[in-house]
Amino acid sequence: MEDVIRAENLVVRFGDHMVLDDVSMRLSPGEIVVILGASGCGKTTLLRTLVGLRKPDGGRVMMFGRDLYALDDDERDETLKRIGMLFQSGALFSSLTLEENIALPLIEHRHVAPQVAAVIARMKLALVGLETSALLLPAEISGGMKKRAGLARALALDPEVLLFDEPSAGLDPVTARALDELIIELKRRLGVGMVVVTHELGSIEAIADRAVMLDRGHVIAEGKLSEVRAKDDPQVRAYFGRQATRDPDGGSRPIVDLLKVAGE
Amino acid sequence: MHLSRDDLSPDEKTFARLENRVLRISANGPVRLDLSGCGALSTGEIAVLARLVGDADERKIKLELAGLPESLRKALDASLGALLSQEAATRPSESLLERMGEGALLVAANWQGWGRRSADVASAIFVDPLVGKPWVWRTIVEQMDRIGIGGVPLVLFISLLVGVVLALNGARELSQFGASIYIANLVGVTMTREMGPLMTAVLVAGRSGSAVAAELGTMVVSEEIDAMRTMALPPNRFLVAPRMIAFVVMAPCLTVMSDICGMAGGYLIAVPGMGLGSTNYLHQTAQTLSISDVVTGLIKSVVFAALIGMISCHEGLNVAGGAEGVGAATTRAVVRSIIAAIAADAVFTLFFYLVG
Repeated sequence: MEDVIRAENLVVRFGDHMVLDDVSMRLSPGEIVVILGASGCGKTTLLRTLVGLRKPDGGRVMMFGRDLYALDDDERDETLKRIGMLFQSGALFSSLTLEENIALPLIEHRHVAPQVAAVIARMKLALVGLETSALLLPAEISGGMKKRAGLARALALDPEVLLFDEPSAGLDPVTARALDELIIELKRRLGVGMVVVTHELGSIEAIADRAVMLDRGHVIAEGKLSEVRAKDDPQVRAYFGRQATRDPDGGSRPIVDLLKVAGE
Repeated sequence: MHLSRDDLSPDEKTFARLENRVLRISANGPVRLDLSGCGALSTGEIAVLARLVGDADERKIKLELAGLPESLRKALDASLGALLSQEAATRPSESLLERMGEGALLVAANWQGWGRRSADVASAIFVDPLVGKPWVWRTIVEQMDRIGIGGVPLVLFISLLVGVVLALNGARELSQFGASIYIANLVGVTMTREMGPLMTAVLVAGRSGSAVAAELGTMVVSEEIDAMRTMALPPNRFLVAPRMIAFVVMAPCLTVMSDICGMAGGYLIAVPGMGLGSTNYLHQTAQTLSISDVVTGLIKSVVFAALIGMISCHEGLNVAGGAEGVGAATTRAVVRSIIAAIAADAVFTLFFYLVG
């Protein structure tokens, strides 16, 4: 089956700083690929590049078989309508109620009658357990609810692909677990392919079909979670063993050693 | 020189004293600091030692740290580079030419972004409705309320005061020639051609331009703009175009109110204040004002509003760097809007002067 997303040799730089260096990955229909790695390794940048928010300096993003960054505006819009994205903070439109947040893309892109769109919005909110909060503004709900509402909005157009930026970051373990279960449930019921950026080990173990591990902008392991875990790489071992690495950023370790010795 | 832990205190006075002692001794040869009685050292004490060693190196002073455990000496040597290096905190120095080049590229990129956004917004306003993408009326009405209706009290109050100030300034001079009635001409023409549109523009830039820049900037920071892009909802069509329409429609309305209120201010000074006849004053005002004065002012107000709207939206959507970035963008939006409005006014005035 054709990959729904295929990133080929992506290179992204911020000034002189190389954030992604020759990164490739793919997503097949109906699977969950987790992008993992330490903070600052380029996970979110990769996700933003996949979804059309950051044009790569090199390489290309093939989405549904077409080069996303080579499409004209209308073609790109049509492609983007087939995906849904959940941002880290939910990124709900603050001036609209939850119901209006979800109804907006339906009205704009599917030309659904507003009163019908409101009903569909309630259904989407019910999927994430928020149907009773439909008329609240984003400022009136908690962080976990914002993420769930963001997910409901991402589902508004029945996307074929969902992308998540750290869905469980900042959530308590119970809410994070509920969100993981929701992701698995969506995959089971809707067969949606998903790319999930996270560094929560619990989430990774719960949801991943495959994993791509990044370290300082490079892919250091890719495959089934068991294969990634088994990879003989100090960063991978340290990550899954929850151990601090000796030299995560290449240079500050001698100071820590000095402070240790001084205190003895 | 034997040191106790008290000598290694990192406070300013103690460190300066220690540094001076080292400098004094160094005049007679190598300096030997005996730290054998210090035991375990705190972070601050280690920092004092590191700084002493670094400064001694720089001044070519031979400094020996005696009595330190071997492991601590080695660890201190190994970390000196990282502790004292300037590179981590500062960018590598660039030549003047490089900085000028980077600055020019930034300005070029900004103008390019401005041009692209202007074209996008023009297309969203004039072309999109023809191809089945209607104006976002809900946002337009909301923004008209905020920019226009919300700004009425401020514009009325300030314009009344401007009219009063104009009349008072004119009264002193004109009354010397027995020409007080010409206060009506002064206030009427100045308000409709210049002060009405310009004061309205300044007030709209300060009140609504800043609000728009801050609102859009906050949306950038909270990823709402990114969310719109991933949902194929172009921010230029959904956010900028409605605000532009609201600015351009409401500014002339506010300008008309400003004109009337300014003339009312002049009336208050001239009629009750100076005892001129009410009918005479109103008649003089009506005779003085021509349609072209009012229309000129309204054309100006439309151009000022378009400039304020574009600048405010552009600055808001270009925010980078969190809350600080939003503040900076808001300031830039107001300053640039006012400069643009006044510059445009100067161009208009010159044009009308030349064409008569």
